[in-house]
Amino acid sequence: MDGKEKDFFICRCEEVTLREIEAVIDEGYTTIDDVKRITRAGMGLCQGRSCSKVIARIIAQRTGTPIEEVLQKNYRFPVRTEKMKTLEEEPTDAKDC
Amino acid sequence: MNGSYDVIVVGGGIIGLSCGYYLTKSRKRVLVVESGGFADGASGACDDMILFQSKKPGINLELAFESLELYKSLVGELEDSLGFDNLGGMVLIQNLEELEIMEEFVRQQRSYGLDVEILSNKEMRRKQPFLDERFIASTYSPMDSQAYPFSVMHKLAQKSRSMGMKVLHHSPVIDIRVDGNGDFLVGTGRGETFQAPVVVNAAGAWAGQIARMVDAYVPIEPKRGQIIITEKIPSIGETNLWSAKYLVTKLRPGTEIDATEAEMALGLGFAMTRTEGDSYLIGSTREYVGYDKGTTLEGIRALINQATSYIPMLKDVNFIRAIAGLRPATPDGKMILGEHTSVEGFYTAAGHEGDGISLAPITGKLLAAMVDAHEVPQRLEELSPNRFSAKGVMEVS
Repeated sequence: MDGKEKDFFICRCEEVTLREIEAVIDEGYTTIDDVKRITRAGMGLCQGRSCSKVIARIIAQRTGTPIEEVLQKNYRFPVRTEKMKTLEEEPTDAKDC
Repeated sequence: MNGSYDVIVVGGGIIGLSCGYYLTKSRKRVLVVESGGFADGASGACDDMILFQSKKPGINLELAFESLELYKSLVGELEDSLGFDNLGGMVLIQNLEELEIMEEFVRQQRSYGLDVEILSNKEMRRKQPFLDERFIASTYSPMDSQAYPFSVMHKLAQKSRSMGMKVLHHSPVIDIRVDGNGDFLVGTGRGETFQAPVVVNAAGAWAGQIARMVDAYVPIEPKRGQIIITEKIPSIGETNLWSAKYLVTKLRPGTEIDATEAEMALGLGFAMTRTEGDSYLIGSTREYVGYDKGTTLEGIRALINQATSYIPMLKDVNFIRAIAGLRPATPDGKMILGEHTSVEGFYTAAGHEGDGISLAPITGKLLAAMVDAHEVPQRLEELSPNRFSAKGVMEVS
């Protein structure tokens, strides 16, 4: 694959292309978090639910690392986006500390 | 031995990379060793601010001015916008006591050269139409700026590497010894050892532990800051925002503020930045919870309650993520920058607390100049690591 085929979006929320992701991997950034922080892929509305695995596969192929090693296990809270008011409405002082 | 360098920088956050960049520019062969991945620490979990208005007249404000100028040149040097922007900032005032304290503070800052003023209620609302009724006035400075930390760090690393700097990730430093020639031997958790006559401790909240490896003393404590991030929304105001509520307790200790015990325990303050990607970053807490950098439901709720009560239209905005970083806090609120008299060649550049993004360029530049000239400009003596004694009591200067 070369040329224009690499200009398609891997992360649609933040509009990050395959070309951009490969460039960062070639610089030596080889974790999903590294790629995310530098390119913003996975930082948008869906929080990487659609593209994290694809990015993992690209890293695995490009670096020759098994995909299991690349795959990220922990998602940051929240995994689903929420309207602010859904959390706001619960009382904050009902905690015991 | 896996390599020798002129300088080894411990810590690959924005401070370490800035030190690395300016050292490399002054023709040093530099190795940066980072325990985590790219932007794993506080630099990757912060708001983006180059904030002037929070700073008391003195060295912090002076250095922030110089750092802002460096950011402007870095945009050219690193050939990237760096997310640098100059939206200006407003500090929101809720009552007459806050107004009086802020008026006094604004006077001091103006006399120091900061372009800042108090806006009337009406002027404030012209710039920020969605504010809650509680606010009676605000400050405004057109100088408050921002940069996108990930771009700054990526481009600093990229440029420095093109000039020969090396960066190792996932390489925690586990010991530092001094060999017969007085050079440092820095050992990593990967079993590698590197040698250099100069070590720069830029380990942020972990700088105390790194210093202990050479029996030096760095009193830095981690202060956790939680921040929430909204979805992309159109701009809801002209500037970035803070509340005076937290600031006034720093400016005039003992000032009573209207906050619950839980909010006080969280060190809750309000800061809102429009960021790269058209989201808003809304912070922040200031918690002493050791090295736990998790986000908490309690912290997130407090941030949301505060944000939606200050700007009610945010209720219907989605928040997509919460982040937390450990701000490296010093006992006197000033960073630590300089060589330790007890260990020749060992420098610390850490302890920026919430000013890491603001002060990164100037920190790197001053550090590189100190290493080069092997002397400390007089005005920087108040930042010296030697101002603290091992008992944590400040030495008389």
